[in-house]
Amino acid sequence: MVLGKLNKMAQSRVVVIHGRGVHISNGQIDETKIIHMFQRGFQHLKNGISPSDCIRSLFHSDEHIGLKVNTLGGPKISTNPTISLLLAHWLTKGGLKPGNLLIWDRSNAELRQAGYRLTDNPGDIQIFGTDKPGAGYENALTVNQSIGSRFSRIQSRSISASISLAILKDHGLAGITAGMKNYFGAIHNPNKYHDFNCNPFIADLFETPPILQKHKLTILDGLNIQFHRGPSFHAKWNQKEEIFIFSTDPVAADATGWRLIEKLRASAGLPTLKEEKREPAYLFTAERKGLGRANLKYIEVIEDEI
Amino acid sequence: MDRRHFIKTTGGLSLTAGSGLLNTCSRLYAFDTSANLSRKEARYYKKHPDREIECLLCPRFCKLGDRERGYCGVRENIDGTYYTFVYGKACAVHLDPIEKKPFFHFLPQSRTLSLATAGCNVNCKFCQNWEISQVRPEQVEHQDFPPHQVVLTAQKYDSPIIAYTYTEPIVFFEYMIDTSIEAQKAGLRNVVVTGGHINPEPLQDLLPAVDAIKIDLKAFSELFYTEYVRGKLQPVLDAIKIIAQSSVWLEIVYLVIPSLNDSPEEIRQMSRWLKQTAGKDVPLHFSRFYPMYLLKNLPPTPTSTLERCHRIAREEGLHYVYIGNIPGHKAENTYCPQCQKLLIQRTGYSIGEKNLEEGRCKYCGQPIPGIWK
Ligand code: SF4
Repeated sequence: MVLGKLNKMAQSRVVVIHGRGVHISNGQIDETKIIHMFQRGFQHLKNGISPSDCIRSLFHSDEHIGLKVNTLGGPKISTNPTISLLLAHWLTKGGLKPGNLLIWDRSNAELRQAGYRLTDNPGDIQIFGTDKPGAGYENALTVNQSIGSRFSRIQSRSISASISLAILKDHGLAGITAGMKNYFGAIHNPNKYHDFNCNPFIADLFETPPILQKHKLTILDGLNIQFHRGPSFHAKWNQKEEIFIFSTDPVAADATGWRLIEKLRASAGLPTLKEEKREPAYLFTAERKGLGRANLKYIEVIEDEI
Repeated sequence: MDRRHFIKTTGGLSLTAGSGLLNTCSRLYAFDTSANLSRKEARYYKKHPDREIECLLCPRFCKLGDRERGYCGVRENIDGTYYTFVYGKACAVHLDPIEKKPFFHFLPQSRTLSLATAGCNVNCKFCQNWEISQVRPEQVEHQDFPPHQVVLTAQKYDSPIIAYTYTEPIVFFEYMIDTSIEAQKAGLRNVVVTGGHINPEPLQDLLPAVDAIKIDLKAFSELFYTEYVRGKLQPVLDAIKIIAQSSVWLEIVYLVIPSLNDSPEEIRQMSRWLKQTAGKDVPLHFSRFYPMYLLKNLPPTPTSTLERCHRIAREEGLHYVYIGNIPGHKAENTYCPQCQKLLIQRTGYSIGEKNLEEGRCKYCGQPIPGIWK
């Protein structure tokens, strides 16, 4: 199934799963609880069907799936390696082949620094970056409106479906970085797209075929949320929030994450992103392009707790 | 554009593999080269609380948190200290004629050791070298080419000039200025080919180290700079003013793009401003556009448009106006503004007749501005 552009009238569903106590002592996380959070999240995504049925409804059994993580921030503020691996393993329980699952980001070095153990053993869950020999970037540019970029061959060729498994955080230029901006790590020149609060660049990039035709699901890692001074780690503005956000609508997932960041900011007495002139307007641009819902009026948020 | 094509189109005499240098690197390379990036502390930046920094080198003033990289893609904040990754990391090295830069009033026919690193602080939709300018250093083949080796190589190949060119030398400022200083000590000249997107302080520091600067003035409208360059016009105009007031030789290139920056009014305003700011003797080159990179939907500039630009600039009183990228056109030649006789005849990058003596017109004795020896 290709997500493609959404029907104008459709309402989008976003599932927020709280995992109270998922953080256990000495920086560890409760792996069983994480699995339960995935199960519950997938269940709610598709009106209570079983998690395996939900997985089957999103991916066919031979699908090559990229789990695009965000490891730019280093060990303290990247998509947690344990979570990525648990998700990949859990997906195999739903009938997907381990060797067809690839956890990836821009570079091997960044993945390693974030705590990932790289592997390309055939038959195992794969973990590596675009700079792995044999991967690399396309020679040809993909052009769409404000975008002219070379795609990682992982995104353009190796995978047939994509999950944006991003960390949710504040971003000094974009307002927030979450599932959509995570795909900046799939192109060779993201540094060129940070003007004007990354608008319309993030939306224009998402609209390109290598993403639009493959993206099927956003999962936002909100176990720890950097709600100010992101995307770097600052303990003072980092909140243990213990949530995951799931949605097949990439815009709605991020829009929900944005509202959550605003709540955390308000409780800390910080101004809104709009007041700081860095509202993530790219989400509204994405909505206008039909990529999903940014307006909360059209987003059905289902919250549950494990 | 593959490597062979790049070398061909740049028209230069590339150094061979035996010289230990790479000729160019137009291909994105899929390997972990992070170990081969330099880590030299950048000049011109300010430290802010919480390990944040603000780069003061160019008018973008990138403000970056820990582990973030600037717009140019070659500088990164690591734990509150700002580093350049391209110091001594050349990704393109050629021997070119000086006319190719182009400089027409600077040591004609001299061989120029030309070099670049990855990166650029703008993103022109018509960039000819985007495969090295619009990438990060780890995405492109590069090799160690420290300043002293640049100087030795220039000497070895009888090149009296070193040119910082192809991409945007401002983003490899530290490498460029250190190399220039070493080159000066060795009696070599330094020329810079730039978009001029630099802040006044670093520019003032650079001027004593270099001999000539060519500015690519890409239009005379802020809108064009926002839309097609992703930069700003005013800082470029400010840079031209500063250079014009210095003793560094200045030439200007204006790439004429059909329908985007070629209106007679814009050309007239630009020429008028240039004459007021840099004087009537500053060489101005109108260059022909070819469809490239993200601007492939426009035709090459018609010769008639270039001739119209040439006429307007001459009407505004500029003495040395040239047409580029049309080999054999008579506006490639230099004529004496006094007696109108032919002084230097050019076809592409080669020179035919030359009627200059000691920097003066051979016929009427009119001094011709430039660096001639
Ligand atoms: S030189 Fe690079 S990092 Fe510095 S302000 Fe310019 S684009 Fe930004």
